Amino acid sequence: MSSQSSRRRAMQRTITGYAFLSPAIVFYMIFLIIPVAMSVYISFRKWNMLVPLSSSTFIGLKNYQDLFRDELFLCAVKNTLVWAIGTVFIGMLIALIVAILILNARWAPFWRFLIFAPVVTPLVAVARIWESGIYKTSGGMLNSILAMMHLRPEHWLADSRIALFSIMAVAIWASVGSTVIVFTAGLKGIPDEYYQAAKIDGANSWHEFRHVTLPLLRPTILFLSVTGLIGAWQAFDLVFQMGAGGTQSGVSSVKSIILLNVYLYQMAFQNLRMGRATAGAFVLFLIILCFTFVVLRVLREGGVESYE
Amino acid sequence: MSRLANRRPLIGKYVLIIVVASAMFLPFFWLVSASLQTYEELISIPLTWLPSSPQWSNYREVLTNPNVKLGLYFSNSLIVSAAVTASVLLTSSLAGYALAKLRFPGRDAFFTFTLSTMMFPTFIFLIPVYYILKRFPFLGGNDLFGRGGSGALSSHAGLVLPFVVSAWGIFLMRQFMMNIPDDFLDAARIDGASEFRIFTTVIAPLVKPAFVTLGIFQFIGSWNSFLWPLIVTTSAPRLMTLPVGLRMMVTAYSTSTVQNRLFAATVLGIIPTIVIFLALQRHYVKGITLSGIK
Repeated sequence: MSSQSSRRRAMQRTITGYAFLSPAIVFYMIFLIIPVAMSVYISFRKWNMLVPLSSSTFIGLKNYQDLFRDELFLCAVKNTLVWAIGTVFIGMLIALIVAILILNARWAPFWRFLIFAPVVTPLVAVARIWESGIYKTSGGMLNSILAMMHLRPEHWLADSRIALFSIMAVAIWASVGSTVIVFTAGLKGIPDEYYQAAKIDGANSWHEFRHVTLPLLRPTILFLSVTGLIGAWQAFDLVFQMGAGGTQSGVSSVKSIILLNVYLYQMAFQNLRMGRATAGAFVLFLIILCFTFVVLRVLREGGVESYE
Repeated sequence: MSRLANRRPLIGKYVLIIVVASAMFLPFFWLVSASLQTYEELISIPLTWLPSSPQWSNYREVLTNPNVKLGLYFSNSLIVSAAVTASVLLTSSLAGYALAKLRFPGRDAFFTFTLSTMMFPTFIFLIPVYYILKRFPFLGGNDLFGRGGSGALSSHAGLVLPFVVSAWGIFLMRQFMMNIPDDFLDAARIDGASEFRIFTTVIAPLVKPAFVTLGIFQFIGSWNSFLWPLIVTTSAPRLMTLPVGLRMMVTAYSTSTVQNRLFAATVLGIIPTIVIFLALQRHYVKGITLSGIK
């Protein structure tokens, strides 16, 4: 009898558990699982969203083949790789330096606020400031500095050789604040004894950084790389607004700056090629999966997992 | 802890800090200055840092000109961000409680699934979600089979529904609730309280800080979101949120002789999130740290 009542209690617990999860489960069904299944279906079909999905035509793998024949898509893949790896790792390097600089500095909360302000600013505004204040070809801040140094002005957003890097710099400027805060938390979590021990062993500050700080920050670095890359693969706002969306910046070649999400947006909502856009989304998914696993593998190998 | 910093020459350190801080601050300063300049000052070479006399009329113009629908964009953003935030707080805390404090088969699988959804790129569900919302039965002039109208996309619901559950929110609430000692709950259980009652009377008050953190995050995130509102409101301008509205103004006016007003509008668009952040900075920072530590 007692086993029966305990079974009933287990049953009850299960029902309660799923009751609490039910809003999330219903949401995931309608907005994730069914849509992803539909996407698989759409990626094998020719469909423009203007007719019901049921009247689309099956074209097999053609969407995927077309993608890899489309030079713009291949450019988008290449640019996205450069963008993601560049913004995440350069951003982390800058953030780590800044975090160490301000860790015990006077007025640390004030510096942190200044560095963080761009993070909460809408990217439309960020794009505006950089486009018409800093990167402006005639009279912009950067070119004024170049002029003072008697250097030739650059076309920061219009020169297809540097436009992508110019926008990457904006992305780093706009996001470095949150990375600084994560690093600050990581640095504060390193016990003082490790530094004392290093000092007794006669380590200089570079050695301390190399053999104490860096290994103990490994979990933080792992976290930042994984989450940073997942976000960066899908960057859209800045590139859309500073060029690929087509404003006055006069970017000469969309090919040089287009990112995957911008390509997918244009394919779906400007060219109405839903099949090809979804096929591209699965390619992007594959890239994200591969890189996430690679980063997890590389950064988890050896080293200190946790210092608690 | 201070070792790394202390050994450096102090002056060099503060020079570096000031250089970094200026790089972060000067662009904002210029934006505010530009919003108070005349058109001539704005296009002058070199850049004007301080207007000779502040043109407050730029602000008056964007606030009173009936063609500039800044008020509409504001209220749309407010409605959408508030609705998304409220829903996310509710769904995340419910799911977070189940994942942290109840034991039942499938729980860990659900948690793993939730975490893995963070890797899904938006575009693998975006197109079907658009289609599903457009064909939502009975909404926006649709019939039972979702034909005839524009479904949920013709109201704010279209901007809210796809975001009412957040994997990050569930994760954050779970982490937070794991720290609540089980004794608290057991005492209530012995008193015969149902799990739902425990959730509302014991758990909810204890996780208030997490609500604040998640709430600010979600609100600012929704306020600044761009891609989905862009897609939905291109065909429904009366639903435009602030970022999309500003973007439309940029494309319309950025080369015109009234572009100085655009900067006034941009400053106004920045104010809400900066104010929220300033007021609740501590909680915001804690949110980042919480998600970063675990």
